[in-house]
Amino acid sequence: MSAVFSPEGFRHLRGSWALLALAAAAAIGLGLGGKWYLDHETRERATAGKRLEQARARLETARRERDNLRESADIFRTLVDRGLLQGERRLDMVELINGLRTRHQLFALDYEIAPQRPLQFAGGRVFPAVDVLASRVKLRMRALHEGDVLGFVEELAASRQGFFPLDRCALRRLEATSLEAMQPRVEVECAFEWITLKEKNAAQPG
Amino acid sequence: MLHFLYLTNTRLVSVRAQGKRIVARREFAVSGVGASEFERYLAELEQVPTHFFVDIADEDFRLDTIPHVGGRDRAALLGRKLAQIFRNTPYRHAEMQGREAEGRRDDRVLYTAVTNPEALRPWCEMLDRLQVPLEGIYSAAVFSAVVLQELDLDFADALLVTFTPGDAMRQTYFKNNEIKFSRLTPVDLEEGQGLGAFVAEETMRTWQYLDSLRHFGADDRLEVCVLVHSSDRALVQPQLRDFAQMQYHALDIEQASMKLGLKPAPLDSTAEEVMVHLFLLRPSANHFASPELLRHGAVRSAGNRIRQAAVAILAAGVAWGGFHVARSFQGVEADERIEQQLAAINTEHESIVRSTPSLGVGGSTMRDTVAFYNGSIRPFPALSEFLGAVSKVLAAHPGVRLTQVSWVATDDAKAMPPIQSIASRDAPAVKTLSKGEPPPAPGSAESQANPVFAGGRYEVALMEATLRVPAEDFRGAIGQAQKLADELSQLPGTTADVVESPLDLRSSLQMQGRHDAAKPATMETRFVLRIVRDRGGAA
Repeated sequence: MSAVFSPEGFRHLRGSWALLALAAAAAIGLGLGGKWYLDHETRERATAGKRLEQARARLETARRERDNLRESADIFRTLVDRGLLQGERRLDMVELINGLRTRHQLFALDYEIAPQRPLQFAGGRVFPAVDVLASRVKLRMRALHEGDVLGFVEELAASRQGFFPLDRCALRRLEATSLEAMQPRVEVECAFEWITLKEKNAAQPG
Repeated sequence: MLHFLYLTNTRLVSVRAQGKRIVARREFAVSGVGASEFERYLAELEQVPTHFFVDIADEDFRLDTIPHVGGRDRAALLGRKLAQIFRNTPYRHAEMQGREAEGRRDDRVLYTAVTNPEALRPWCEMLDRLQVPLEGIYSAAVFSAVVLQELDLDFADALLVTFTPGDAMRQTYFKNNEIKFSRLTPVDLEEGQGLGAFVAEETMRTWQYLDSLRHFGADDRLEVCVLVHSSDRALVQPQLRDFAQMQYHALDIEQASMKLGLKPAPLDSTAEEVMVHLFLLRPSANHFASPELLRHGAVRSAGNRIRQAAVAILAAGVAWGGFHVARSFQGVEADERIEQQLAAINTEHESIVRSTPSLGVGGSTMRDTVAFYNGSIRPFPALSEFLGAVSKVLAAHPGVRLTQVSWVATDDAKAMPPIQSIASRDAPAVKTLSKGEPPPAPGSAESQANPVFAGGRYEVALMEATLRVPAEDFRGAIGQAQKLADELSQLPGTTADVVESPLDLRSSLQMQGRHDAAKPATMETRFVLRIVRDRGGAA
């Protein structure tokens, strides 16, 4: 062995030593390269698995949304037609009330529309895509017959100006002072919310 | 490729072998121009591992026993002994031969050496000068034990007779397959003497010499194995006559070669090709060469081993990397399946998105809008429905006159709508005075700036009415009010209670009666019902 590790032996074997070093480096490179490739592929595989899961979830959501929207499309179209997403048009409301008052021959009609506000729901429920806004409307009416009042309220609820869920109403009979005279026989006080929706992502009006 | 040199006193034979087969043979004279011819020949050959057999007369053999000691001590002891016995030659060797059966059970040793180093040195210097990778220098006599073993000549006392290039005959004595003695005799035939007679004469002398050294017992017989070519066998065998102490075995070298697998068989009786072939079958350790002489061979072997190690390491690296890559390829099918599934899912998703109605707004807007409508607006109660149901019940009670109704849609079943009592026109003569009870609390929703939007699960109404009954018929009035409440309770999801009776009979209250002289025929009693309609969980 001393001949191998002598200067002369080393001179003779330098090519072999260099080959050994190159082979060792290449082997380490190949091994580490293979391991890197395996790790890379494993990571890619895990990522692909996650992408697949996400795609499945997205597809399921899309299916659900499609089904929901198909069911809801007709309803939504009706709601849009009724101005649910169009904001308050108070002048239209004033004209509507005046028109209904005339049609139902109300003796007196006082009303009060409060400033619009975000409507609060029980349990703090919120809708991610829309803001629910409401204006509190109070009515005080006098009529000859309670049917006139009920007709007024029903026709108001069926109007295409928005939604008016009547939540409070008090009807009181008024004593007639004269049986012959045309005078109000019933007094009514009602309150409801005038509800409109606003799309949260909709562009703000200029 | 291996290169073998076989040196006798007069000839040097070069034998080249490829694998287990001899492919070239060339013979040189030891003296004169033979050496220079050989050097030129050697210089033209490619550098291959070279094994050097020595089969010359100047080789001495000594038997000895040494104490049985450990490896390092034994090496030192043998080195010292060799230096003492063969102090004039560097070409010396000690062959261990087992242990004595008795006494201290010492180790048996055969010392051998080329006693005339000048016979070998020029060749060694030539090999060194040409940097021939010498692997070893071997004693042909010592190595020839393999001949007996491979030819199954298992005798207690055997004398192997071989012929060497340059007309010499070597006789090597083996006792129980251990070499004890060897001598080389030039084949120098006298006038009229045949080879057979020469062999018989020389072997007899050898027997006598060995016998004089007390190698044989009274009953021992020396088996003389003569390795000759078939062409010489006819001349030799007739001259070999057995007797009690000696028996001859003429071994045909062609048959022996066939048995050993040596092809082609030697063309004469010289044994160098047989030796070379046996060495290829059973390589031996170096006998005579010093480490200095072996350095080119050692360097060459080291180079080979380094290159082999490099190849092995590279192969291991390829295997290591390949193992990882192969493992990564194991999931290729799964990857393709995933990609296909992803593509299919994306295609279906795009199709769904295209087919989803948008109506100018986002899907979430549509969903929220419809959810709000379905949850909060659609199930919200309507006053007209409530009043319509109550009116049908009241129609069966013509004596009851409704004076006021206060109705709320709420999520609180205990809600109490506001109401202000209206006095009857013909109040009864007996009435119960309230004890300063607080008026019904105003609706809490109206008192708040931003009331919570009620889902309208419950419709709660306070209904005030009057009932005209005969004067002082309070019992009838109370009964009718209760009957009306009971009938209203028959409506789906509805409960009705009398909260203010035509005459409050509670003992805790003060009651007051006032009867005038004029007694009216009837009276109008007042009562209040609380009606609650449970709509079963809207919104």
